[in-house]
Amino acid sequence: MEGLAIRASRPSIICSLPGLDGGSQRLPLSDGFLRLPTSSYAADKPKLVAKSASLHPISAVNVSAQASLTANFPALSETNVKEERINGDKNKPENIVWHESSICRCDRQQLLQQKGCVIWITGLSGSGKSTVACALSKALFERGKLTYTLDGDNVRHGLNRDLTFKAEDRTENIRRIGEVAKLFADVGVICIASLISPYRRDRDECRSLLPEGDFVEVFMDVPLSVCESRDPKGLYKLARAGKIKGFTGIDDPYEAPLNCEVVLKHTGDDDSCSPRQMAEHIISYLQNKGYLEG
Amino acid sequence: MSTNIFWQESPIGKTERQKLLNQKGCVVWITGLSGSGKSTLACSLSRELYTRGKLSYILDGDNLRHGLNKDLGFKAEDRVENIRRVGEVAKLFADAGLICIASLISPYRKDRDACREMMQGSSFIEVYMNMSLQLCEARDPKGLYKLARAGKIKGFTGIDDPYESPLNCEIELKEKEGECPSPVTMAEEVIAYLEAKGFLQNQ
Repeated sequence: MEGLAIRASRPSIICSLPGLDGGSQRLPLSDGFLRLPTSSYAADKPKLVAKSASLHPISAVNVSAQASLTANFPALSETNVKEERINGDKNKPENIVWHESSICRCDRQQLLQQKGCVIWITGLSGSGKSTVACALSKALFERGKLTYTLDGDNVRHGLNRDLTFKAEDRTENIRRIGEVAKLFADVGVICIASLISPYRRDRDECRSLLPEGDFVEVFMDVPLSVCESRDPKGLYKLARAGKIKGFTGIDDPYEAPLNCEVVLKHTGDDDSCSPRQMAEHIISYLQNKGYLEG
Repeated sequence: MSTNIFWQESPIGKTERQKLLNQKGCVVWITGLSGSGKSTLACSLSRELYTRGKLSYILDGDNLRHGLNKDLGFKAEDRVENIRRVGEVAKLFADAGLICIASLISPYRKDRDACREMMQGSSFIEVYMNMSLQLCEARDPKGLYKLARAGKIKGFTGIDDPYESPLNCEIELKEKEGECPSPVTMAEEVIAYLEAKGFLQNQ
């Protein structure tokens, strides 16, 4: 359920960091967010009591080309923010509180010199999602950026191995991948999720998990006929023979995105649209939006 | 398991990512009673690693139950599934080259051992917060022991549900002469282990 995001009310910390070009940047470290479930019981309003700490500006020294930092952090006590016990409704585990991490997303982004986000590549089977994901991760690596690919198939061997292809399991498959991708983005990783994800509602749910802009939906706009002619896994053949039921594009719908960030449209000319070129197209988007800097 | 699934090969793998990060991915699994200091150690450890330029991330049992595991309750089978999913995510993080700090009570040996099995290798580091029930209950940071003693929570670890301590953990942290070591001291002990095993050196 939607929660209420409350900003911990302690002074924000400013970090002075000599940049690699010798200039200096003042970078705010974001406050930790405590997210509390909205309470339908007026009496159970969660309260935060912030203890103001005497903080002072810190300077990070010895920034190497790998952007590793040695910094003296102010004494951030784990008790900086005191929480009242939260009583949730009967459908939620009551005995849970948020724990604040003193290293925040901003710190990790500074270390990695990039901003975490989720590149969600969607499209029919055989549209080239995994191919573009591979090319993208390689191209970003060559720029010194850290990515990780969550492929629908890879995840089904591990985290989602208990799920089938029934409708409700497909939804759960996407939900879990969305949640994991969100965690990766919070780490600062550029997380590439590459899965058919045919239903608009499920993709939009994943989008809603992330802050505005951090969900980059990439639509592999390739006609069914082209995908089927490729048929890299032989699945269309099996689906046409009736050996697989509910196969997307054959007897289950694919709902194209209405408002995605990037469309990679098949032109029929492989020279003008190689996987590498498609990857570069996505990279331009990321660059323009500032995801390839700390 | 459906047969319509294939492994996807990616040219950028763990080795490349570890080179980029100058560290080896692993899972530091912190287990212990409620109030034993798991989250406190996790915070301290991630901070100390950061000052060394190392990338870590905390998977906290509580945090995950608000997101990935929000569909799970505290029934026995849900607890098992909770730990399984955390283990699988930790494995992905380690594969990404991160030092993943998982901080959960994880009271049953079988479930922790299953996570260790999942990691397939030497990158599962079990840290046992061996603090007495008395100390944990005296702290009672979330007021849960009080509720459990009053019978308002059933199956609470340490009160009416067992905690099975590790038999072969890599690191055991305990009280010394009735005093609990500081979070930084304990973090330094974990870091010394990681350093000795080569997780923190340039790849």
